[in-house]
Amino acid sequence: MSEQTPKAVNWMKWFDPRSRGVGMWAFIINRLSGLGLVLYLVLHLIMLGKLAKGPQAYDQFIAMMKTPFWIAGELLVVAAVFIHGLNGVRIILTSFGIGGDRQKQLFLIIMLVAGAAVIFFAWKMFAHAGGG
Amino acid sequence: MLEEGSLKDHFQSSDRFGEGAILWFSKILSGFLLIAVLVIHLVVNHLVVSGGLLSHQQIVSYYQMAFIPAMEIIFLIVVVTHALLGLRSVLLDLKPSNKLLRVVNISFVLIGLAAITYGIWLVVAILNQG
Repeated sequence: MSEQTPKAVNWMKWFDPRSRGVGMWAFIINRLSGLGLVLYLVLHLIMLGKLAKGPQAYDQFIAMMKTPFWIAGELLVVAAVFIHGLNGVRIILTSFGIGGDRQKQLFLIIMLVAGAAVIFFAWKMFAHAGGG
Repeated sequence: MLEEGSLKDHFQSSDRFGEGAILWFSKILSGFLLIAVLVIHLVVNHLVVSGGLLSHQQIVSYYQMAFIPAMEIIFLIVVVTHALLGLRSVLLDLKPSNKLLRVVNISFVLIGLAAITYGIWLVVAILNQG
């Protein structure tokens, strides 16, 4: 079993924040946001089953989702969508030879755009919750 | 119970198949398509509707527009495909053996088909309520 240890350590290095370059951070963030979104997708599909049960079951659930706690949770999903999506665009561009020598700048720009989008959605979502 | 040798094979085999060009391109293409449909999905559900998040009645009405059910089914197929290909990429980082990867492949195809079937059933159920 001793042969397995190095591989397990490699896997655990995903969570080791030391000595990371921007490229590795982009990779880790893309992986973690992707895994989070897969989990959300599963929960989302299960939850949507309430639509088939009729208005009462679904609307009761939606009323709960409009409380600040769940809006904050949903905002995390929106953040993951923008981070993962924009990072994906960066990967597409660099994979096809566009901006390969400007990867760090591209990553920082998409993080800023994602941050701005999350702030915008937070403002709109919490305004809705407050009746705005 | 797996023996040490087979465990080693699961994680360290060198003669293996992984993410080929077609699967990689499928992941990229589905991701690109996803961005377009997801923007519509987020805007409709979080920005347009008064009060945020559509009610049951609003969803049923929304689905009566001719292109919406088709768009939602395409969205479902693309998102499930992208999610499973992405999850497979993460698993590939753990260096599974060909044998284990084959199990993952078959499982993911079955999970994907089940998720898409469930989603299409749900779209039809919503349409029938209109």
